[in-house]
Amino acid sequence: MSWLTSWGDYFPQLLDGLKVSLLLTGGALVVGLPLGLLLALGVQAKRRVLRFPALLVVEVGRGAPALVILQFAYFGLPAAGLVLSAYAAATAALVWGVAAYTSEIFRAGLNAVPAGELEAADALGMTRRDRLRFVVMPQGLRIALPALIGIAILIFQSTALAYSIAVRELLSQAYSIGSSNFDYLSVLTLAGLMYAAVSIPATWLTIGLERRITARS
Amino acid sequence: MTATTGPDERQDMSRTSMVRLEAIAKAYGDHQVLTDVSLSVASGSVTALIGPSGAGKSTLLRCINLLERPDSGTIEVDGDLLDLGHRVPAKDLAALRRRVGMVFQSFNLFPHLTVLRNISLPQERVLGRSRSEADARSRELLERVGLADKAEQHPSRCSGGQQQRIAIARALALDPQVMLFDEPTSALDPELGLEVLAVMRELAAEGMTMIVVTHEMQFARDVSDHLVVMADGRIIEDGDPRQIMSDPTHERTRQFLRAVLER
Amino acid sequence: MDVLRALVSGVPLTLGVTACAFVLGAVLAVPVLLMLRSRVLGVRVLARVAVDLVRGIPPVVWLFILYFGVTFGGWQFSAFNAAVVGLGIISAAYLTEIYRGALRGIHVGQWEAGQALGLSGMTMFRSIIGPQAWRIALPTVATYAISLLKDSSIASVIGVTDVMFNATAETRQGENGLVVLGIAAAVYIVLSVPLAVVSRMLDARMRAAVAR
Repeated sequence: MSWLTSWGDYFPQLLDGLKVSLLLTGGALVVGLPLGLLLALGVQAKRRVLRFPALLVVEVGRGAPALVILQFAYFGLPAAGLVLSAYAAATAALVWGVAAYTSEIFRAGLNAVPAGELEAADALGMTRRDRLRFVVMPQGLRIALPALIGIAILIFQSTALAYSIAVRELLSQAYSIGSSNFDYLSVLTLAGLMYAAVSIPATWLTIGLERRITARS
Repeated sequence: MTATTGPDERQDMSRTSMVRLEAIAKAYGDHQVLTDVSLSVASGSVTALIGPSGAGKSTLLRCINLLERPDSGTIEVDGDLLDLGHRVPAKDLAALRRRVGMVFQSFNLFPHLTVLRNISLPQERVLGRSRSEADARSRELLERVGLADKAEQHPSRCSGGQQQRIAIARALALDPQVMLFDEPTSALDPELGLEVLAVMRELAAEGMTMIVVTHEMQFARDVSDHLVVMADGRIIEDGDPRQIMSDPTHERTRQFLRAVLER
Repeated sequence: MDVLRALVSGVPLTLGVTACAFVLGAVLAVPVLLMLRSRVLGVRVLARVAVDLVRGIPPVVWLFILYFGVTFGGWQFSAFNAAVVGLGIISAAYLTEIYRGALRGIHVGQWEAGQALGLSGMTMFRSIIGPQAWRIALPTVATYAISLLKDSSIASVIGVTDVMFNATAETRQGENGLVVLGIAAAVYIVLSVPLAVVSRMLDARMRAAVAR
């Protein structure tokens, strides 16, 4: 099949694009996950000063389409004086997405720890901070893990949208190859399969982890 | 913390009185759960708290270590008085909880930690003991409740009765002056419950001040030296177990005892 | 403001793409579900691979494949059609999983009762299992519909003149990007409110109905 030979030609360039996509994903997770955890605590804070901004960040991050946030980071922020490179804007937008979506997951995970254990920690005289650190987080994070991986997969797929702000990730590379030789279908299919090659095993990991967790409890 | 002042009698009583509750009241919305409850528990005694469901027994017990916040009243533990009408400072709360240990109906062990760690962690964090100190004490206590071999396992590998004994060890590890038991055997099969009751009897024999909410009438009759009967948020009997059980003052108590002893 | 008018003029296409894709997906999900539950191994495997592949590839890539890649002679998908077909197929893949989850949520006794009464598979599905599964699935389906609304913005990349497209156009024409995109975000959020309200109502009603 001529496709296979052309795929051989396209692959190196697409691989470069895939690396960029993975780097974007990794960067967004590294910064976004801790933020998501903070937001999870923030939306449950008693003080309004903490709760309202946290709620706003989460609701807008989840309610606005990823593409809007992406373009906002690249085209919108300059109007406020902050000019970001395409790569930085894409990362910033993805970080917001990660933080907003994972905050809900962290919240659910942390709240899944049985109330009885919280009472036991209180009765033992442990401080709230120690209770969070030694009782709630270790269990809550473990429960949240499968869903967090799901978000990681989602974010990885969202990197394709960075095409619209000219980041040289996988889809951009595929499109530029396609537009130069008008053989779109073949190169786009290869690109699609490369995305799937990362997403699908990651999804299996999620399902496997979920099963292990439900089996234990 | 305020030291008690007052007439000599009260000072005398407070020297032997480990826990004193005065005029405790608590409401949930419209429902008055506790009304004007006063109780005095002598040092080294075993107090059994019994009564029909919904009487407020567990709520009262949980007021002692402030897992429930009463709306009004005072609590005095080993001479330190807390007025519950006002906000309780964090320092006083911490001190109170260090003196009062609690064992729950559903054990509430930490499943992600080993048995040993369950008992050592609170010692390290709350009492500031070193890892080795804490572990040594933990093993001692596990030995005492007969579960030394379970130290490196996780609670999920232990039966209910074993988990409850571990929970008792965990509470004892902080060297409390008072131990509260909230229906410790209600979630256990009768056989497993016996193991736990045995540990509790030993503890009583060693002179620990214990307050036990329970449905185990035999325990109440044989081991406790102070019986308190509650109904509808009030204390209706307060005194010697054998005397109350054979000749209660209130009809309500009679009804309750009849129902319980006839099962 | 002119900007607002320009953005709002894209709403019909945003809603159009969303609604058409949703209907396509909701309908397509049923045969896929049946294939996944087929007794023939080959059919099951085929369906499973298809669903996983569809969900493993980013929506924007699917849209590109359909719009730029699919040509029969001179024929091509229009941007709108490519968006609807692409998002429709993706919706089918996600809705299949949602339906499966709902079926799993039905008490196994219902199936047994149906069999004991001698009902045929079709009747059982249509009269007993189907309605219950639908009720369980509805809140999750409503949540999915909201995410589909947001994903419809991807159609702008292949030229569908929806809200997102107009926002980008306005920004490129020199309008304040902060304002334009901020309003665009608000428009999408506002559009999702009715769905969120309906979803919460359905969720509450379902809980009350199923409570024993």
